[in-house]
Amino acid sequence: MLGGRGRFLADLAAGAAHVVFIRSSQAHATITGIDTTVAERMPGVHGVFGAADLGLDGAWIPALTTPDPDFSAATSLELAEQRLPILAVDRVHYVGQPIAVVVAGDRYVAEDAAESVVVSYETLPVLTDAATALDPDSPALFGHLPDNQAARLEYEFGSPDEAFETAAHVVEGTYRMERHGAVPLECRGVLADYDAGRGRVEVHTSTQVPHMVRNAICAVTDWDRQDVVVSVPDVGGGFGTKANVYGEEIVLAVLARHTEERVVWVEDRQEHLLASAQARDQLHRARLAVDAEGAILAWDVDFVVDIGAGSLWVAGIVANTAVHLMGPYRIPAMHVRGCAAMTNKTLVAQYRGAGRPEATFALERSLDAAAAVVGISGEEIRRRNLLGAGDLPYARPIPYRDGVPICFDGGDYLACLDSAVRTLPRSEVDVCAIENPDHHVGYGLSSYLEATGRGPHETARVRVLPSGQFEVTAGAASAGQGHETVFAQVAADALDVPLEQVRYRPCDTEQLPEGVGTFASRSAVLAGSAVHQACGELIALASQRAAQLLDAESVGYAGGRFAAAGTAVGWDELAAAGRVGGAGEGGAALDVSSVYRVPTVTWTMGVHAVILGVHRRTGIVKVLRYAVSHEGGREINPRIVEGQIVGGVAQGIGGALFEAWRYSPTGEPTSTTFAAYHLPLTTDVPPVLVNHHHVATPANPLGVRGAGESGTIAVYAAVAAAVDDALGGGHHVTTTPIGTADLCRALDKVAS
Amino acid sequence: MKPAAVCYQRPDSVAEALELLAQDAEAKLMAGGQSLITLMNLRLARPSSVIDIGRLAELNRVFDDTDDLVLGALVTHRTVETDPLIAARAPLLADAARYIGHVAIRNRGTIGGSVAHADPAAEIPLATVVLGATFHVESVSGRRTVAAEEMFVSLYTNALAADEMVTWISIPAIKPGQGWGFVEFAHQHGDYGLAGAGCLLTVDPDGRIAAVRAGVLSMADRPLLFVADDAVGKMPSAQLWRTLADRWADACEPAVEDTDYARRLCRAALADALADAHRRVNAPGGGGHAD
Repeated sequence: MLGGRGRFLADLAAGAAHVVFIRSSQAHATITGIDTTVAERMPGVHGVFGAADLGLDGAWIPALTTPDPDFSAATSLELAEQRLPILAVDRVHYVGQPIAVVVAGDRYVAEDAAESVVVSYETLPVLTDAATALDPDSPALFGHLPDNQAARLEYEFGSPDEAFETAAHVVEGTYRMERHGAVPLECRGVLADYDAGRGRVEVHTSTQVPHMVRNAICAVTDWDRQDVVVSVPDVGGGFGTKANVYGEEIVLAVLARHTEERVVWVEDRQEHLLASAQARDQLHRARLAVDAEGAILAWDVDFVVDIGAGSLWVAGIVANTAVHLMGPYRIPAMHVRGCAAMTNKTLVAQYRGAGRPEATFALERSLDAAAAVVGISGEEIRRRNLLGAGDLPYARPIPYRDGVPICFDGGDYLACLDSAVRTLPRSEVDVCAIENPDHHVGYGLSSYLEATGRGPHETARVRVLPSGQFEVTAGAASAGQGHETVFAQVAADALDVPLEQVRYRPCDTEQLPEGVGTFASRSAVLAGSAVHQACGELIALASQRAAQLLDAESVGYAGGRFAAAGTAVGWDELAAAGRVGGAGEGGAALDVSSVYRVPTVTWTMGVHAVILGVHRRTGIVKVLRYAVSHEGGREINPRIVEGQIVGGVAQGIGGALFEAWRYSPTGEPTSTTFAAYHLPLTTDVPPVLVNHHHVATPANPLGVRGAGESGTIAVYAAVAAAVDDALGGGHHVTTTPIGTADLCRALDKVAS
Repeated sequence: MKPAAVCYQRPDSVAEALELLAQDAEAKLMAGGQSLITLMNLRLARPSSVIDIGRLAELNRVFDDTDDLVLGALVTHRTVETDPLIAARAPLLADAARYIGHVAIRNRGTIGGSVAHADPAAEIPLATVVLGATFHVESVSGRRTVAAEEMFVSLYTNALAADEMVTWISIPAIKPGQGWGFVEFAHQHGDYGLAGAGCLLTVDPDGRIAAVRAGVLSMADRPLLFVADDAVGKMPSAQLWRTLADRWADACEPAVEDTDYARRLCRAALADALADAHRRVNAPGGGGHAD
């Protein structure tokens, strides 16, 4: 990869016609006409196609998942039927919505042609605010629905009302997390080719979920599964925005078959910031009741998610948020209400954490507020409420999203707090203050708890190559997380052979027809276990073959050799025996695909500690020190786990301090370049000290817990707490990204 | 994000570039291309023709004259930032260049390009205004000079005619008794400055103020220059800096939503730049050298 030999989607574009999408310039409008005459006459233009031309008139992107009925019953989950058009026909719901495509010999010509297409609109009233959208007096954005509510749920346990009446202290707050998201290094991109000989469409897409893309294409077109194969090239980051199925992917597949051309669409950055799925955008109204010592008595939250013009992941986001509001604490009584609103903003998908950072922000901020009222430190209130070794495992009275009753399967969450404050002690603030005399320096903590490894299943395949080496692949596609390394390691361990003997092959739906995908901190848990299981099955199959070859009743297996009665064969000999003319000629290939099913999720917990400075005259925040102590499972590759945590912290710092997709009151996106949408830079992220507390889980054969999203979840709340501390406690951050103007004005009240 | 069709020309001399420029009122000169190409990719700029002067080595030179430092228009920001001669003779300019984008941008971006682009958030225009630089401007019909104070007219608009090109920039070299400051605040390193101030302070041998020139970026449609005639003859003091910073920040009308915050940042940048300038006058070895 570092040698420049990576093959990303755009690297496959040679020889393909270029596709450019004509996108809505209006946030909410009726389309009254599309004039493509100038574009169609331009030299180099192959054609301009709208929904009707491609048989996609009235077609929408199919649902990706169905919520578990037990979870739905326990949380009174209601979902509206969302119909997200693949190409808009007569109405648009957000700026950037795809309407039609131009196909041309190159991207320059395609953009010139796209510019000449005139779409006429009659504008409609625009909703950019969730509260307004949910107002019964607001018009419904979608004709088939009575209102703009996309999802709603509610659960309650204990006796929260009683607790709030009698508690020594009740703190209330409204916590807002702005809309931001993944923004991977590589934008989206799709290449589709029609193989007339085999009568099938071959799709390459920069995705985390190739099987979901394949299923969606088949559902929309009625093609059989063998009529389309979806492959994943090297992917330059996904973080959730590519764990989504997009209209663009379906359009390219249909376009290739319709035109019988090789067509490619490479999303550019402005398009990405306009039209790739966004995330977060939540508001939490929270109340926390504690006793005189700061022990939590009851927790009540009413939250709203703004999913823009739709989200295929709305159930997951709302459910994740609701479940993770429980945190790693002893909470005897809770009442949670959540809903999702549709507005005239860009579509929403999961983004690293997917509801967990928002829930954690509300809970941890409320804990800090309670600590201030009780008169104890942020560390102390967490110490008094965190689950310790004596509490765990800890059952909760509602089911997880998979319908299985929740049970936190951790070891000792207090140990993570101890470890975090030991690694980054508060005394380090004094050192930082001397190093940064221009800054008020503060210290912040936040815990998080994350359900990882959501099932129900994942698939892997391992086969013996002619040389006796192995090729492994899994349904969880790599988006740059190092699956090449990790799955090869799992296979090498399971097969008891050197790592060099195993090659990883990127995922496609032909060699592995079943699969789920990479999201929800699930790849190591699910796909890793599937690889492990497939290797076990391969050894069993090969053992029978070896026994025949050695003429033995049974064979023993160790170190890549099958042995019986003083003789032994290796994988190379088994592979050779299977060839024509070999002793095992005509036998089936040594090739195993295996489906691994996990009973339920396993939980990862951690504590983040941060020291930062607030510039004395400007309010600008500079993160100075960062430490993470987390309780995970067995680390297949410690460097990769550490990389996940550090990268997650960086993205969390971005969300806490800089990142926001903003919209004008008329729904015009105003953050469509990197001059307006600010990612964290290397200069914004200090070295992150990571402590891994190994607590094995019996939930899967590898003993692993997910770590993909962990790094991001607690950052927002930890940074907010440290800002409050830097400002001397008179300020309470309630919104991210944290407004430096507010801090600057708050500084007036801080003695310098 | 591809530019509209454009005619590309690469002249071999300044004279040839001026000829091409005179022939087409819609043509644009391109030096490092760090602003123009972005605007073209966004199709916000649609020149009929791009005249690429980036390889005209004759304009990529620096001369040390008696009272002035003379810089070719194609000297890059990175050279301004790192060249020891520029650091010694025009330290304010050298320091200002550090705040321009990131190293990759500074490697290609040029001072002439920055002047031509006339971005009110840009560092080079501000530095030239504070330093009282003179621009040497050429066209097929002749040469003239434009004072920095006259050059920046409004948002992305300078005082050049369509056929004119900045070729050289004369910057008065720093003198004994002078100190300078340049302070910029941004959310992130390399980002557009929320506020920034440059200051050139001259003091008499008895320590009294002889002249104060200061300027700010991002506070109007062009860099703003402030001169404090009423400070002449006074002794420098933190109180005086605060008074001047308050007065000048209050005079700004920044075109942003939160003008209160913009003025606060502007005030802080001015006060810090003035204090830095005073400290550098007093620095051991006298003024005129970067610390």
